This record gives sequence, C-alpha cells and structure tokens, in this order.
Amino acid sequence: MIPFSGRKSFRFAFSGLGVILIILIAVPLLRMILSADPEVMRSTIADREVMASIFLTLRCALWATIACAILGIPLAYLLARWNFPGKSLVQGLVDIPVMIPHTAAGIALLMVYGRNFFLGKTLNEIGLDFVGTETGISLAMAYVSLPFLVNAAKDGFLAIDPKLERVARTLGASPWQAFFRVSIPLAWRSILSGSIMMWARGISEFGAVIILAYHPMTAPILIWERFQAYGLKYAKPVAVLLILLCLLIFALLRWLAEPKKET
Amino acid sequence: MLRLVDISLKLGNFSLRNISFDVKRGEYVVLLGPTGTGKTVLLETIAGLYHPDSGNIYLKDLDVTRFPPETRHLGVVYQDYALFPHLTVHANIAFGLKLMGKTDRDVRNAVSKMAHFLDIDHILDRRPRLLSGGERQRVALARALILKPYMLLLDEPLSALDRLTRDRLRRELKRIHGEIGVSILHITHDLSEAFFLADRLIIMKDGAVIQEGNPEETLRHPGNRFVAELLGIENFIPAKIGPGGQVFLEGLGTSDPPLFSSEPGEKVKKIYLTIPGWAIDLFPAKDNGAYLSQVNMRVVGLNHTEAYMEIELEHERGARLSTTLSWREVTMLPTPIESGKIIKVGLLKEGTYWVPGD
Repeated sequence: MIPFSGRKSFRFAFSGLGVILIILIAVPLLRMILSADPEVMRSTIADREVMASIFLTLRCALWATIACAILGIPLAYLLARWNFPGKSLVQGLVDIPVMIPHTAAGIALLMVYGRNFFLGKTLNEIGLDFVGTETGISLAMAYVSLPFLVNAAKDGFLAIDPKLERVARTLGASPWQAFFRVSIPLAWRSILSGSIMMWARGISEFGAVIILAYHPMTAPILIWERFQAYGLKYAKPVAVLLILLCLLIFALLRWLAEPKKET
Repeated sequence: MLRLVDISLKLGNFSLRNISFDVKRGEYVVLLGPTGTGKTVLLETIAGLYHPDSGNIYLKDLDVTRFPPETRHLGVVYQDYALFPHLTVHANIAFGLKLMGKTDRDVRNAVSKMAHFLDIDHILDRRPRLLSGGERQRVALARALILKPYMLLLDEPLSALDRLTRDRLRRELKRIHGEIGVSILHITHDLSEAFFLADRLIIMKDGAVIQEGNPEETLRHPGNRFVAELLGIENFIPAKIGPGGQVFLEGLGTSDPPLFSSEPGEKVKKIYLTIPGWAIDLFPAKDNGAYLSQVNMRVVGLNHTEAYMEIELEHERGARLSTTLSWREVTMLPTPIESGKIIKVGLLKEGTYWVPGD
C-alpha cells in the first residue's frame, strides 16, 4: 500500500476520475465477453476459417515483431547512447507511424511495395510479394507498430548507467561483449515489454493491413467482414475469441516481464 | 609504467590541455583538483574510453594512444563503483576472467582468493543493490584487481562513503597498494585523502596540470594562490617587495625583511605570504629567530567543532588570520581565549612561504 496523505477531497476527486476511466475501459469488454453464448462460442472455435485467421494474425504480428527487434534494437541503442547530426530527425521519423492514419500508411506502403514501383517490382521478381500475402501483412503491421518497440528499448538503454558499459570495456569486454553481457541483460525487460506492445499493436492492426492484404484475412478484417456481411451476431463471437486469446497471452508475457521480488 | 605526453582533448564542456605526467611502477599518485576540472575525463582517456585529440599515452613504453580500452589492461574503479546490478558479487568479480575464457574452477579459485584478500567472502552470493558503500567499493576493487592490471585508476573512490567507512577504506587502499604493489592513479578533490595516500601529488585546474611533486614539498611551496588554497591554506597576507628585496607586509604593520629559501624573482613586485594554520603560534615564546614576526591581534571569532576550535584573528591594520587548536591544545593555553581579547601572535618562519600575487 502506498502511503497516501492529504486532504480527503483530493483523494476522493482523483479516485473518482480514475474509476470513471476504468469503467469506460472495462464495461465494453465485460459486456461483450459475458454476453457470449457458450454454444455459439463452441461453434466459432470449431470454425476453421476463424481459427486460421486468428493464428495467421498472431503469426504475422510475431514475425513483424521479431524483424523489428533485429533492426530496431540497434537503432534504439544508437539513439540512447550517441549524439549525431540529425538525431532528432531520426527520432521524429521513428515516431511518425503512430501519428498518421493507418489507412494512409497502408496506401503509402502499397505505393512502394506494390508492383507499380521499382522496389516492389524488384522484390516481386525475386519472389517477395507484398500484396495479398502474409509478408505484406507482416510489413503493414511492422510499419505502424515499430515505434512501440524502438522507443521502449531506447528507454531501457537510457536507464542504464553508461559507466557500466565502460567498466565492462576496461575489464576486457569488446563493444559487442559489453552490449550482450551488460546492456541487453539490463534492458531486456524494457525490450520485452516493448515487444509485447508492438506485437499487440500488430495483432489489432486493421487500416494498414486491409489495404495491403484483404486476403489472407487477419482476425480484425474477418470481424469487420462478418459484421458487414452478416451483422453483429456473427461478428461478435470472433471478436470475443480474439480478445480472450490476446488477454491470456499478454497476461502471461506481462507476468514474465514483471520484476520478480528477490528473496 | 604510465606516461602521458601532451594530452589534449575537447569534450563538450570539458577540455584537457597539454597534460603530461608519468606514474612509475608501484607508485601511488594522487591527482588533486576541484570538481569539474576534467579529472574523470582524463582518467577515462587513460583507460581508452576517449581518444585524445592530440598527444600520446604510453603504457610500459608502448604507445597505446589509439588502443581500445579492453586491450589496455587497466583497472578502473568509479566513484559509485558501477557494479553490474544484474550479477551477483561473485559474477561481478568473475566478469573479466570469464571473458578471458578461464575454466569455472580457475574462476572460482581466483574469486575466492581475491574475496578473502578483501574480506568479502561472506557477500559473494548477494546482489550489489543490497551492499553497503564500503562493501561495494571492495567488490569494485576486487573486480579490477583480479585481472592483475598494470595499474589501478581510481575515480574519487572514497567520496560516496560516510566518514568512518572512508577513513577505514583509505587505510585499506594503502594496505592493498603496499601488499600488491600495483601502481595507482587516484583522483580526488579531498585534500586529506590525497595527503594520506599519495607518494606524489599532481594538481589540476581547468583541464591542465599546474603543479606536481611530493605532498610535503607541494604544501611547503605551492606554486600559486590557487594551489595554496587547494592545499588548505587559508591565510594570505598581501606583501610588496621593495627595491632592495625587502618585503613589506600590508595590513600587518612593519616587519623585518624576511629571507626566503627561494627568492621571488626581480620581476615579482607583489606577493602573498601564505601562512598555514600550524605556523601561527599563539602566546609565542621570546623571539629566538624562529619567528618571521610577532604581532598583536584581536580575537574576532571562535568556532567550535567536535575535534578542534577555530580561531579567527584580526590585526588593527586589517590583516586577518585563522588557525585551529585541538581541544588538548586549548586546555594547555596559558590564559583562556575569549572573543574580543587582544593576544600576541607569532608567525613561524618555518611553514611560511610566498606565492606570486595575481
């Protein structure tokens, strides 16, 4: 319990405002989950199309996260440790994808990775097709959600005293060894929680994905399609299933990333 | 062991200017300077964490100026010790040995030997977060010493500690130095730490070395007022040098022209007489030639601490002096000292020196 001293009115006002927000978040989720008919849920789980689409979504978001971790962690480290000309520009660029409408991001991606642009055309010729493929879905997810990973990793590195890395160097560590034996172990919690955020954001992505790949259908698109074609009754079970699955996975990962109390 | 030749480096707000000095094998050198004078940057430059803009660094006669830190074989201990928080004390100490690819058994043996030497056997399984300041410092020393470095570079290693621990650990540093014989470059802004430990003192100001020598000699002959103040001398009496070489003390009445062991040059017209507190004799004996001068001064301030009494004195012509007496000395005074009283004060020739006026 955090010691909390002060006027009752202050505490009351803040608690009240906080509770309102919690209700706003929780009620729609609870209402949706509680109203699910067990019978319909069972048949939804048995629905091959639904399960395939959910797994496709989880898989594509995971690939996007892994790819961005490999490219993004070094960038995050650079941003945390080095000053270079144009650093704030780079930082701004990393943040842009969360600022722009995601359908717009999808269109921008299509213009580069579609077959009408040399890059998309060249990649297509070597067998990398982005339109209507899993690769395309991963790309769209990665583009709009990478800031979560890069920024979290950067904050993680910033929280490490650079002296720790310097001392490691004087103890005989190469820059690589210092990075992998000191920086990464100290920042991994931030990196993991950033990755979870990025993965979650990737799974929920709709706007950018639908422009690059309507098919194969990710879960958010499937939900939208069923809502359009058959109405709320048919969209709901898929949505409930996706929400439950996500909550489960994220609870697990959060628990992993949580600092454990030392005995 | 270590030789710096004309090192210059500009780094943000800090700059090092033409720094040259050496540290001999087995020597304990203390680099003394006020905070913010670039001491840490210099130490990190020696360690290879920065490359100087110009100048050369030699280690064992090898030019290592452009060598990366991991090849220099120097042990660094920072003020806050920079222990790896994710590793146990054992793993902290073993860090360097593991990088060298030593077997687990060798590592364990070496760590337990080092832990025994520094009396930290009982904390090997703990995390740094749970250690006291003194324990952290021993762990940081163990982590560096276990690699048998050419030299130890200590960056204010005692500043973060409480006084009792500090006093204990500086004796410990002396013991380590004595037993292992490792060359040490220790930077600090703490005067008593410097005198306690140093074989040789190097004094730095604004990124440059301004004086070096053995501690007693440096204290006796500070090169200028800054050094004298850094060395804890509080009393500066302005003086003029007459055409015949006589010295006229301003603010302290007339005085015989004193002779100095080294005379100010012809060009120096204005000097400060520096008088360490211990060279001020209250109720002096009859002048037998030991005194530069004996004057009457008024007690204008008495300040007490747990260990000593500080006495502020003022001459009718304006000069001010301060000195301290231990409580034991206070009880041995012929008459008690009270504020406002005028007493006779002798300035001992021994200890009194001059520095050029600005």
